Amino acid sequence: MTTLIVLSALGLVCLFSEILGFRKLLHPIVLIGLLASFVTNLMDWNNGAHLFNEMVVIDNYSVAFMGLMIGITFIWCLMSPDFFTEPSSETDHFALIVFALIGTMVMVTFANMIMLFLGIEILSIALYILAGSHKTKLSSNEAALKYFLMGSFATGFLLFGIALIYGATGSFNLAAISSMISEHHEQNSVMIVAGILMMMIALAFKVSAAPFHFWAPDVYQGAPTVITAFMSTVVKTAAFAAFYRLFIHTFSASPAIWAPTLMIISGLTILVGNITAVYQTNFKRMLAYSSISHAGYMVLAILAMNQSASSSLMFYATAYSISSITAFAILLLVSHQTGSDEIRSFNGLAKQNPFLSAVTLVAMLSLAGIPPTAGFFAKYYIFSAAIQNGYLGLVLIAILGSLIGVFYYFRIIIALFKSESEEKEIKVNTLFRVLLLVTSLAALALGIAPGMLAGLI
Amino acid sequence: MTLYLFYFLSFLAVLSALMVVVSKNPVHSVLYLIMTFFAIAGHYVLLNAQFLAAVHVIVYAGAIMVLFLYVIMMLNLNADTEPQKGKWLRVAATVAGGILMVVLVGALRSAADTLPVTAHDNQIGMIKNLGKVLYKDFMLPFEISSILFLVAMVGAVMLGKKEIK
Repeated sequence: MTTLIVLSALGLVCLFSEILGFRKLLHPIVLIGLLASFVTNLMDWNNGAHLFNEMVVIDNYSVAFMGLMIGITFIWCLMSPDFFTEPSSETDHFALIVFALIGTMVMVTFANMIMLFLGIEILSIALYILAGSHKTKLSSNEAALKYFLMGSFATGFLLFGIALIYGATGSFNLAAISSMISEHHEQNSVMIVAGILMMMIALAFKVSAAPFHFWAPDVYQGAPTVITAFMSTVVKTAAFAAFYRLFIHTFSASPAIWAPTLMIISGLTILVGNITAVYQTNFKRMLAYSSISHAGYMVLAILAMNQSASSSLMFYATAYSISSITAFAILLLVSHQTGSDEIRSFNGLAKQNPFLSAVTLVAMLSLAGIPPTAGFFAKYYIFSAAIQNGYLGLVLIAILGSLIGVFYYFRIIIALFKSESEEKEIKVNTLFRVLLLVTSLAALALGIAPGMLAGLI
Repeated sequence: MTLYLFYFLSFLAVLSALMVVVSKNPVHSVLYLIMTFFAIAGHYVLLNAQFLAAVHVIVYAGAIMVLFLYVIMMLNLNADTEPQKGKWLRVAATVAGGILMVVLVGALRSAADTLPVTAHDNQIGMIKNLGKVLYKDFMLPFEISSILFLVAMVGAVMLGKKEIK
């Protein structure tokens, strides 16, 4: 709970900095604030609590996910100084990011449908605005509008689902709903079924799972690259943490209602995401499709519904976020200096800048799931958890999907070693050098010693 | 009596909601939307939620709809500027919406065996009781929603602000 207060205070400090005239100091203040919230968050480890009349549950699950998201936000704040030095709205950018983080926090700790709704809305509204934060660029405006319209539509589904479930069970409390569902195990009312399915549609939209993924590529490509990085790491992690929490803690009593549908969603997402990614020539758009396909793998963790599922989801989210943020940091450097997001602009990078191409290699291998990187064990844990619950066929589809995935990740790697080098040399400053080194080493370390994180929750 | 009122209000709400979608002129759509809001406010009164009904009329039918009308009039939208959707899109949307409606009607038809309706306290919708629930049981969501509004406000200011060159 202290974490929530620290973050809210940080958000207010961001807003006040413009009036009080210390906005030059804001970047370090936000970093310190994030560190402070990371520490207060860790103090809740093994120290769970049910707070505010069962509105919030803090347990190791929420602490682990919150720690991951604060950590990634910290790295993200370091890698996007340009975004925060835009003179007209730097303080707003900081404030919106911090508030978005509060939204993710509410999404991982909720124990009540109202809190889930508020968390998703705080996060989404902050993101609608951030996606359009490049005001003079048409694609950014388009991304914001598209995201806003589609997102509000999905929110409508979420609310309708919550209302139907409230109508059937008479409660917003997850524990009460869960016991209602398991008591009437045999003959759940159709209202509950409709409610669960509608909430599933809304959450599948938020995690950009097929067939609700159509917004993702356009929004990811149109939004400023730093925001895309935030969306595909922190936001995706938060959405999955909420998805998992809702379905495992509340609806797990009657998986027959939702498991078959979710199974189709998972398989479809993996195939659609991977196959469409093959045809992309734009690196940013390719990463968008790759993030869709990763959503498919993470849905497998929800289907697995066993002891190891939550820690395998946590591991996957960590591995994916670290590799993804590395890839976006590289894209930021390359697109900034060559002026294009295309895969072409990576041509011949290996000769020009061996360091940058080495970290690109690690990030791509990790996203593709090839040992010795974190991505391999992430997929391994999720697949084995799903097989334990009898989803062998789905896991085979997932493996097929990751084989297709290898193809397009290797296209980047091949581009690195192409000889047709463009003249322009890409410079990496010290901050980025350290940052990329740290994230790549983390990806490698998790791949070599996965035990560090595997049995955590 | 209440039953007839319920059917009348429901009929009004559904009809005017349909008209919002169907009418060609955006100003008419907004006016029908106001009618829908009034009908729903009537439902709130039937459910003993008097305060909610009043707030609903003031906030939605009053403030938000007036904003809507102003925006439409300022942008000078009328039937001609309404973008024409393709025929197939309309068919697809109708089919998808119709299927959803069939599912929901089916769901609610068999919902008779859900929770028995508990006897109502007719004071339940008064401000006093609402305030107790809001500040005691739903304290945290109440406070958290202030962040939601703050986000929306900061965003509106940010998007509306002039770029410093």
